[in-house]
Amino acid sequence: MEALIVLSIVLPLILGAIIVFAKNDILTSLLTWMMLPVMSILAFMIYAADLPIYVDTPHVLHWIITLFDFGLLAYFLYLGAKRKSMLVSVLSLVQFILLVTVIWVLPESSTANIYVDKLTAMMYLLVAIVGVPIAIYSIKYMDFDEKDKHLFVGLVVAFLGVMNFAVSANNIEWFFAVFETTTLFSVIFIGFRGDKEAVDNSTLALWMNQIGGVAILLALLIMIKDFGVYHFTDLLIIDKETMSMAAFGFLSLAALIKGAQLPFHKWLLGAMVAPTPVSAILHSATMVKIAPFLLLRISPIIEGTLLAKLLILTTGFVFVAAAIFALTQDNLKRILAYSTISLLGLMMLAASVGTPTAVAVSIMLIIFHGFAKGFLFIEAGVLEKVFKIKYLQEMNMLLEKAPLTLLFIFFAFLNMTFIPFGVFVGKWLMIEEASGLLSQGSSVLLIALVAIGGVFLSVLYMKVLGVTIKHHRFTDIQVQKQPKTFLFVAIWFYLWLLALTIFIAPFAGDFVAQISNSLTGETTPIHADGLSLVVGESTLYFWQILGALLLLAFIHIAPLKFKFKNVDQMHPYNCGEVYTRQAGTYDFLFLKKYEGIANMIAITLFMLVVVLGGQLL
Amino acid sequence: MMGLLLTLFSPIIGGFIYGVERVVKARMQSRQGPPVLQPFYDFVKLMQKRPMMVHSFHASMGIMYFISTWFAMAVLMMGNDLLIAIFFHVISVLALTIGAFSVRSSYSIMGAMRELMHVVSYEPVVILLAVSLYLVTGSFDIAKILTSDITPIFSLPLVFISFLGVMPMLLHKSPFDIAEAHQEIVGGPDIEYSGPFYEAVYTARWIEYVYVYFIVFLFGGSNYFLGTFLVVFSFIFINAVDNSTARLDYKKMLKFAWFILIPLSMLNIFFVVVGAN
Amino acid sequence: MNDLRAKSPWITHYNTGGCNGCDIEILAALGPKFDIERFGMLNRGNPKQSDILLVTGPVTLRCRDVLRRVWLEMPEPKVVVAMGSCTHGGGVFRHLYHTENGIDGIVPVDVWIPGCTPRIEAIIDGLIEGVEIWKNKTKEKEYMVGHSEKLLEKIGVLND
Repeated sequence: MEALIVLSIVLPLILGAIIVFAKNDILTSLLTWMMLPVMSILAFMIYAADLPIYVDTPHVLHWIITLFDFGLLAYFLYLGAKRKSMLVSVLSLVQFILLVTVIWVLPESSTANIYVDKLTAMMYLLVAIVGVPIAIYSIKYMDFDEKDKHLFVGLVVAFLGVMNFAVSANNIEWFFAVFETTTLFSVIFIGFRGDKEAVDNSTLALWMNQIGGVAILLALLIMIKDFGVYHFTDLLIIDKETMSMAAFGFLSLAALIKGAQLPFHKWLLGAMVAPTPVSAILHSATMVKIAPFLLLRISPIIEGTLLAKLLILTTGFVFVAAAIFALTQDNLKRILAYSTISLLGLMMLAASVGTPTAVAVSIMLIIFHGFAKGFLFIEAGVLEKVFKIKYLQEMNMLLEKAPLTLLFIFFAFLNMTFIPFGVFVGKWLMIEEASGLLSQGSSVLLIALVAIGGVFLSVLYMKVLGVTIKHHRFTDIQVQKQPKTFLFVAIWFYLWLLALTIFIAPFAGDFVAQISNSLTGETTPIHADGLSLVVGESTLYFWQILGALLLLAFIHIAPLKFKFKNVDQMHPYNCGEVYTRQAGTYDFLFLKKYEGIANMIAITLFMLVVVLGGQLL
Repeated sequence: MMGLLLTLFSPIIGGFIYGVERVVKARMQSRQGPPVLQPFYDFVKLMQKRPMMVHSFHASMGIMYFISTWFAMAVLMMGNDLLIAIFFHVISVLALTIGAFSVRSSYSIMGAMRELMHVVSYEPVVILLAVSLYLVTGSFDIAKILTSDITPIFSLPLVFISFLGVMPMLLHKSPFDIAEAHQEIVGGPDIEYSGPFYEAVYTARWIEYVYVYFIVFLFGGSNYFLGTFLVVFSFIFINAVDNSTARLDYKKMLKFAWFILIPLSMLNIFFVVVGAN
Repeated sequence: MNDLRAKSPWITHYNTGGCNGCDIEILAALGPKFDIERFGMLNRGNPKQSDILLVTGPVTLRCRDVLRRVWLEMPEPKVVVAMGSCTHGGGVFRHLYHTENGIDGIVPVDVWIPGCTPRIEAIIDGLIEGVEIWKNKTKEKEYMVGHSEKLLEKIGVLND
């Protein structure tokens, strides 16, 4: 089994390297397509195995990774000098000094450096099922007037390996190395097109993520000083009562930055200048998902502490604020980015609450958000390349231009908010859990944040959906030809989401609840009764799931297929006039002036998390 | 069984409520008003009109609005979780707004956008209502709320008041009939429906009456007499307000909901939590 | 069923350029004293959901096509009630350069209510008579005066 784990980390890296250096169209396609079954089977086998597994690694690997760290920091320093960015250079130097200190004081440890539990295996599955199709998609995408196709696809494939490594690292020093590697990859991806905007945004992403790196190194130092251990598994067995939270304060700071929470959301927004598969892969299966993953790892430790409460406050605030600011955007990719930030807030909030149900919520959201966001970004890329549509205003009459894409977008948006889809189930469980906590007399604010944040997202999605089919005459709808690769990837996501939704009860009750059990060590009160989902005393019956699914299925397929026969068509009422009608939607631009205030509040909350939560005072 | 019957007959009950409401409204304006069965006459009339539509998708969304509202009603009556029923209501809003967005009519699109503003206003309060009912009765289950020993209204007066505040938004009554705005945007999302298709929308509105007043009824707990009294009280209150106020704009509605009603609910929840511990 | 239907006539009121005297009387008919909601009548203001088109005014040239479109938007069965002298051939606006001299050249009229302005009793009487006619009508499609594809094209409903 150890071999399989190593293989699922190393295989994408090797394949990526082959793709980059071979520069052969057939080989690229062949290898990437081959990844899909291979990686899925690997992930399934690992998940089915007897978990958790510790993988012992040779000592020399440790030194290689340390060496790699220094190389990486040297490269960042070079980038800082080349792009004349003081911040990048200074942060690289700081990391350099801290890293040297860490290595100086690093004690010997016999704990295995790679640790694969159910959560990690779940992330493998997510990377295989969501990440690899995006790599396949990027092959075709790069054929549309883009340069360096092979380099790009190779990097995407290799990035999946890095992500697999990140979620299996047990040693926090290694985790730092992978964390910085993901930063490197995001810098390369964001700056891929090489124009000025891309380079600027990649520099932004670099220094923001470097702050996260600094935070991890500081956490590592404090950890070694306080506890003398630096492995996740070692930390989990320390007695909770006497524990100092300083190290975890810094770790959660790193998570917040990686998770693009306000005010560090700019790097994720900046990522949209890159080719769309980058956004798809950063938002869905990789990169930002490290943030909730990290919090899930430490959630048994921080559960119930002041740190957790402050984290709940911060992420809950971001959940609401990002959803509100998403309303002001008019670029499809930016809207999606803001909604990712918002939902990441909810995931991290659930992870910091740390009760079994909340952890299950976090996992549910990671999975379903991964699927839906990957799907949405893929369709955004199709709109951009095939139909040349980027902005919301251009999406009017989308049904005439791109009916099939509209169908997919519609379905993915429904997945993001409506009953009975996974993200909804997550939100619903979170409200139930928050109510449960409330009746024990805590977290009054939690319920307010959870209850009101979701409303803005629902309204946002309904508005975007409305805009896409606005102003329509529904005369002759012709299904446009799309490249087969795009179609395959879209249908792949569509079918997965559909299947997971129909079987949501067994999925949540068995699969997710098991992961949550193994993480928290308690029994999660979620189980499946046939195809009905039972949570504590509440039940989401199968007839409700099926009914909602049928209703929504009709609503999103009707624009394409549904026709009334023998009913006359009549023009719309316009007071009897025939002037051309232009009705816009609210743009909510007046909200933009509060963005500065929101950033200020977020910064304050960040400080509070580190200083108060970490007990530095 | 009771739930199934109530669900099946909810259009009829809602029709009666609407008929009584029209009479009450007329009497408040010292008019005689239509007969109580007037909504059903309208129903028959609309069924006999020649069907006419802007396009098939729009017409089908009217019917979907009816079906999903009825389904939400079924979930409220026969499910065992108030929260799920509240979220099912959002599906019906989706059907209505998507349909309204899809036609080339400025009134319709404006109405749909305003309908979304309604959702932003009332949804948090309704969710907080469910949560506060859970707090005092210990369950989201409607059957359990209706049989619990505690009478929720006595612990949740402020939540009840804030629900009275959002009822005009849910039922499109003045001063918050912003989405419908008959003199201004000629019915908003309903405008393009005609004949049998409008009948679906019209009937869906009746079901919403039952839906909303049933939530009011929950405040009585196991004391059904008190629950009925609350329903009658809120019915008269809503109609009095409807008759005596002018329409506000959507920003005022948002401000009212967000800066008065939600804090009121939160305050009540806070007191309940503090009082229980 | 037709009797039940007769209890629910909804009105769209359209002024085609008159002096507003008739419109004031219609509003008075809605008020407490006469209250035509007794008969189930509502002033909907939306032709798509109405059964009776209550027209006032002499039909100015500007209003002519609008009147046609509003009439087209009403689903059958429907009746047109022409109210006031202006609609009966123009009234005081007869033979002016900008009027059509009444509405009978535009849409088929079922009931004429005379008077300038008609008394409210006369309005109610006319509306009730309109309802009697409406009761016996069917879903069968009706056509405008001078209906042709060319006319529809001209008033811009075909490609709207």
